[in-house]
Amino acid sequence: MSLLKYRIKTFIKYQDLVWELVQRDLKLKYRRSFLGYLWSVLNPLLIMIVLTLVFSNLFSKNIKNFPVYLFTGRMLYDFLKASTTNAMKSVTGNAALLKKVYIPKYIFTFAKVTSCMVDMVLSMGALLVVMVVTRAPFYWEFLLCPLVIVQLYIFCCGLGFFLAQMTVFFRDVQYIYNAVLTAWLYLTPIMYPLEVLADMKWLVVLIKGFNPLYYYVAQFRDLIYYGRLPGPRVFFGGWILAFVMLAFGVWTFQRAKDKFILYI
Amino acid sequence: MGDYVIDVDKVSVRFNLANQKVDNLKEYAIKLAKHELMFQEFLALQDVSLKVKKGESWGLIGTNGAGKSTLLKVISGILQPYRGEVKTKGRISPLIELGAGFDGELTGRENIFLNGLVLGHSREFMEAHFDEIVEFANLKKFLDSPIKNFSSGMKARLGFAVATVVNPDILIVDEVLEVGDYNFRRRCNERMQQMLAGGTTLLFVSHNIQNVKNLCQNALWLDKGRVRMAGPSEVVCEAYRTEQDRLRREKKEKKREELRKEGKPYDYLVVGAGLYGAVFACEMTKRGKRCLVIDKRDHIGGNIYTEDVDGIQVHKYGAHIFHTSDKEVWQYVTKLTEFNNYINSPVAIYKDELYNLPFNMNTFSKLWGLKRPQEVRERIREQIADLNITEPKNLEEQALSLVGRDVYEKLIKGYTEKQWGRDCTELPSFIIKRLPLRFTYDNNYFNDRYQGIPVGGYTQMVEKLLDNIDVMTGTDFFAYRKEHPGMFHKVVYTGMIDEYFDFCYGHLEYRTVRFETERVEEENYQGNAVINYTERAVPYTRVIEHKHFAPEEEREHPKDYTIISREYSTEWKPGIEPYYPVNDEKNGALYEKYRELAEKEEDVIFGGRLGQYKYYDMDKVIRAALAAVEEESRVR
Repeated sequence: MSLLKYRIKTFIKYQDLVWELVQRDLKLKYRRSFLGYLWSVLNPLLIMIVLTLVFSNLFSKNIKNFPVYLFTGRMLYDFLKASTTNAMKSVTGNAALLKKVYIPKYIFTFAKVTSCMVDMVLSMGALLVVMVVTRAPFYWEFLLCPLVIVQLYIFCCGLGFFLAQMTVFFRDVQYIYNAVLTAWLYLTPIMYPLEVLADMKWLVVLIKGFNPLYYYVAQFRDLIYYGRLPGPRVFFGGWILAFVMLAFGVWTFQRAKDKFILYI
Repeated sequence: MGDYVIDVDKVSVRFNLANQKVDNLKEYAIKLAKHELMFQEFLALQDVSLKVKKGESWGLIGTNGAGKSTLLKVISGILQPYRGEVKTKGRISPLIELGAGFDGELTGRENIFLNGLVLGHSREFMEAHFDEIVEFANLKKFLDSPIKNFSSGMKARLGFAVATVVNPDILIVDEVLEVGDYNFRRRCNERMQQMLAGGTTLLFVSHNIQNVKNLCQNALWLDKGRVRMAGPSEVVCEAYRTEQDRLRREKKEKKREELRKEGKPYDYLVVGAGLYGAVFACEMTKRGKRCLVIDKRDHIGGNIYTEDVDGIQVHKYGAHIFHTSDKEVWQYVTKLTEFNNYINSPVAIYKDELYNLPFNMNTFSKLWGLKRPQEVRERIREQIADLNITEPKNLEEQALSLVGRDVYEKLIKGYTEKQWGRDCTELPSFIIKRLPLRFTYDNNYFNDRYQGIPVGGYTQMVEKLLDNIDVMTGTDFFAYRKEHPGMFHKVVYTGMIDEYFDFCYGHLEYRTVRFETERVEEENYQGNAVINYTERAVPYTRVIEHKHFAPEEEREHPKDYTIISREYSTEWKPGIEPYYPVNDEKNGALYEKYRELAEKEEDVIFGGRLGQYKYYDMDKVIRAALAAVEEESRVR
């Protein structure tokens, strides 16, 4: 119990640092570019336009507002990708510092995921633009989307911790994870509706049951795109997966953290 | 825990070497399949204990990989010990490596906050101390430019300012102060002194032993992960330095041994292990050349050789007092070994009278009872005028015309006659060109700026010069050359030049001396190192009491016996030990002929007193040897 108390105390002590690191990431992202924050909006918009041009013809029969459909999925995926890849390098990237000063090592990983989360929230402006332009209806359920973001945030923290500690010992995890990410993108109904896979029942079952990202994308779309409350399976499943991932990530990280210094 | 701020108790840190080399999954899988993932233990620290009280300063020293940084990491909590326990009290503040805590893209202002927070301060705290930091770092103008545009000195200043904004309980400094300009280092040192005075505990790692000595009271010497020594920094640093020197020497010796076994030819064969040869060999070795020094005698040092007889350094080949006005040479020898402050003030005994030398006011007042320089000058002038010598025909007349009758008869005549074995009237006048008279009460024989005798004698000084150089004593050059013709490229010959050429033009002459050395069971025999006997009836010219050359040794280890040497002048015959070249026309012309031969001799350098047939003071010998080294290095 006292250990937990101690942990919480150190976290409080270093919370300013977390916030400072998050600020740094965001500042650096926007300061150096001419358009600043606009990039956060423009970038997904541009990608979305390209994707829409290509894919809307492919699936236009099944999906009524493809841009919003695509955007709701893509946004979450982008967050997952950005936060976990950044988190992965957070320990090795701060080696010089960690070798000299005692700082709880998870601070850097945590800060990275957090700054990506904030970045995603900021880029929701792009979503609004798309919705207005395509005259998509706004539902009151939209207001519940922070619930989904929090789930995914917790999930990404867990995954980030796991990847960060793996990378310390095995540098090539980065490349392997890249391949995983690509597969993940295509195995999640982001650019296509799940119905196109109707011929492969087993794959649909697999995705619905074991692809965590599916849980969050499904919920997100329910709230924004369909304007309905998510079903209990994806809702509770999403929370459970998030915490299971977090527990797993924290456990692996804690187990390995004392050895980091020898490998960075 | 008691009073200790840092209590490291028998800490061991274990690394797994085998694992650390594998840093990717692919290799890991392969090794796993091949069963190569053995546990290869490496203890970076072994049973290290260190107890530090509040306010102490500790320097950690040791070679690379000794575990210094590992220990610091364990103390700052970055690294967990494998065995043992570490307890610390208070806030630890490490001075971070240059730039490690900074983000180049952020401005100075932002970095101050970031760095401060990294060190565990709160935002509130940093806001409160912001101005203070900026002031110490002296970077107000640049606060809002990205830190990547800062110079390394500016970054160092900023880092130091942040780390020391508040007196931490424990400050950890790991090799960071070696960067930055002089001014910055000075300021850092001041700040650290201040903090030490304010009760901060300092842990300091540096390869610069001098820094450790200056900054730390205590030092811990780590060697391969174990504590080798802990205690006052002076003592530990000295021991460490000695050990390092020893290891370096051993390594060199090994290399030397190998080359010798291979039978690789030497760059220089130095004939004669005297001062000239030793300095030459030492300097050339420093310049990466291989030298072999040989000497006919069974000891090194040539004529400056001092022998330890019952704890007294005996000047075997006559009194040698080092004196010079050449600052560089003085620095050269004092860097080599410690010198005492011996000043040569010989005393002359004539019958039962005793006079100070050189001829100075003490001498004159004893002679005539006069007190003032003017009176003395007048007296000498009168004595010279009385004699009315216009053109001195021999040495006696020459001397008389320079100093008058009293000084000549009591202090010069008998002594010179004993030296040359002839009457002064039979000696040529040119032997004495001038006789310096000193009109002050100053008994210092030499007029040089620096004077002294190496503590522990001359032999150890030559030993230091010949440290790590192949030396063969008891080896005759001519025999060696015959037996090992291909073993050397060049020769430095400091023996007799006429002997080198097989006396083809005849023998050069020398004035030579003989010593009768004896132990006297008396604590103090004559009260002075050198006493000249100026009366012809006494057979010896001087008596030397060796212990007086080293008063510091006598103070430390008083002895109830003494060693004295009576010095006799001897007629020189071919084959006996040569001492002083004879500075006359005949010998000068003969030497000139040999010199011409020497010049034609390729790859041989003739040096030193015998090689150049020239009276050399020790400082001049060193100067000449250094010049020869310069010349050699330039030619190549």
